[in-house]
Amino acid sequence: MDQKSAGLSITIFFCQQIDPNQDVNRRALERELGKQIRFFPLPCSGRIDPLHLMRALESGADKVYVVTCPEGACRYREGNVRAKKRIAYTQGLIEEIGLERERLELIVTSAGNPVTIDELARELLAREASIGPSPVKGKYA
Amino acid sequence: MITAERKPIAEIKEMLAPYRKILVVGCGSCVAECASGGEKEVGLLSSALRMDAKASGKEIEVKEMTLDRQCVYEFIDQLTDVIHRYDIVLSLACGAGVQAVAEVFPKVLIVPALNTTFLGETKEAGLWVENCRGCGDCKLGVFAAVCPVTRCAKGLFNGPCGGSRTERCEVDPDVPCAWQLIVSRLEDMGRLDLLRKVHPPADWSKQQGKGPRKIRREDQRT
Amino acid sequence: MITESRLKKILHRGDFAVTAECGPPKGADPEVVRNKGKLLKGYVDSANVTDNQTGVVRLCSLAACALLKAEGLDPVLQMVTRDRNRIALQSDVLGASALGIRNILCLSGDHQSFGNQPQAKGVFDIDSVQLIQAVRQMRDAGEIIGGEKLTAPPQLFIGAVANPFADPFKYRAARLATKVEAGAEFIQTQCIFNLKRFKEWMDLVRDYGMDNKVFILGGITPLKSARMAEYMAKQVAGMDVPEEIISRMKAAPAKEQRQEGIKIAVETIQALQEMKGVHGVHIMAIEWEDVVSQIVQEAKLFPRPQV
Repeated sequence: MDQKSAGLSITIFFCQQIDPNQDVNRRALERELGKQIRFFPLPCSGRIDPLHLMRALESGADKVYVVTCPEGACRYREGNVRAKKRIAYTQGLIEEIGLERERLELIVTSAGNPVTIDELARELLAREASIGPSPVKGKYA
Repeated sequence: MITAERKPIAEIKEMLAPYRKILVVGCGSCVAECASGGEKEVGLLSSALRMDAKASGKEIEVKEMTLDRQCVYEFIDQLTDVIHRYDIVLSLACGAGVQAVAEVFPKVLIVPALNTTFLGETKEAGLWVENCRGCGDCKLGVFAAVCPVTRCAKGLFNGPCGGSRTERCEVDPDVPCAWQLIVSRLEDMGRLDLLRKVHPPADWSKQQGKGPRKIRREDQRT
Repeated sequence: MITESRLKKILHRGDFAVTAECGPPKGADPEVVRNKGKLLKGYVDSANVTDNQTGVVRLCSLAACALLKAEGLDPVLQMVTRDRNRIALQSDVLGASALGIRNILCLSGDHQSFGNQPQAKGVFDIDSVQLIQAVRQMRDAGEIIGGEKLTAPPQLFIGAVANPFADPFKYRAARLATKVEAGAEFIQTQCIFNLKRFKEWMDLVRDYGMDNKVFILGGITPLKSARMAEYMAKQVAGMDVPEEIISRMKAAPAKEQRQEGIKIAVETIQALQEMKGVHGVHIMAIEWEDVVSQIVQEAKLFPRPQV
């Protein structure tokens, strides 16, 4: 079953450089899915901090994506490299409390294949749900 | 600065297990510098603890606070109104800070979230190396500002030893031989004469003290 | 019974000295030490006993030296500063002298992380140079560190080690000078495979005027196999094993590699005998003490002179 149908709460942190019209392009999905999807545009993926990822999971996200520009194409040079390292760090941290590393995922866009944030988000939602709802939402009796 | 590293969360959880209301207190000085106990790290750890509790079906309350310096009583006093509402304090300070808080609030249970490690410098972003062991008898002036007590694995004052090869310490190829460094720096400065005499044995009583050491300055005391 | 150091007598007479290493066992059986002593007796002027070498717990050097002394050998007590503080070290110096041991070799010792007790606290209260100075002060001034008088000074011929193959190369002669100034009277070097580099070091030593101030014994380790040669070249800190030596060992068929190793050792000893400023040889036949007699004979250094 795909993530959208499984009703998973998805949070997407993404670099604004990917889609200059992201502000407009994400509205359709936001209207369609409401609280099931949350978008956080960033001036650069390097702005992401482990704390943002932790807060996202804590507020109920089942899956958190961080979308970066391709390596070598970061407008601020190494922002995407930093994002990658911080995601890895946070994955280690959540693993220590028994959460699956896969709840955090790095998505690197392709230079040769530009997408709108809407196209990207739909593609991610269409992916197979490999993890279930987050245990952080509360254990089932 | 003093460096420290966060304990594994499993170990922290074990200390906190019997308690419901947790006050997490960070420190904005050394441990913030080495990214282990500052405000951000307090946030990360608290978030992890809350998520872990939710996932286990446990109810906990976690309050986050960060003091500028956790080893100075004037800052610790800021906890006065808050501390008694909690069952336990999880301190992200170095050992000095943890104990200072316990001195101010001896009836409060306080546990460390960090393992305090060494005195060192920030060599690069994300890389901290030990460079001082607080021997109480600084000889950096004679050794071209390379501490043999700290940076020579054998603490030689008349080094190098026979195991020094290609400027690396025999103990770890990632560790530069401190004596190589001392010799080459003194050579560059034209001061190899500083190594001609036999350096006498250190006075380790200055480091050991008779138990914990103290400094007393009457001019600074009220 | 006060005896003199045989090593000291031989060196002062100008004879080419022969010393060898005796490795104590990882156990409490004194017979092991006595048997090794019997293998060396008559072929060496003195026998060194290592002090928990590489940080591996072994029968202590002091006890082993006492056992060798009882067998009629002239032991060299090796003393590292890794395991004992100045109280214990000075105390052992007095004990060694009381037991009739007349030679001491002062070194820092291999770091404890290499041995079988890596969690042990490395003491390093004083370093090898400070130990040399302390022993000299005990012997000549009858004082311990700090100046307090001893009731009876120890009698010891003081030695130190030198590694001509470690870095920084240029500084090594200066360091030797410091050790001599501190009180070192004889030097045993790290084992020599690279004669060319050793000659360069000897040139530096002579430039410093050291060859007249201290007796230098060149270290020799016979190779048992090509694999040993490669291991020493790559894994042992401060060791220099040239490619030609490794190739030579590899070229020999497996069964003949030991003989080849012995041959190389004998050739090196012969080269040392020709070198100005080299006063003897120190044979470190690791767990192969029975080969010492063969090497000494083939190098035409047997029998040892009467003193």
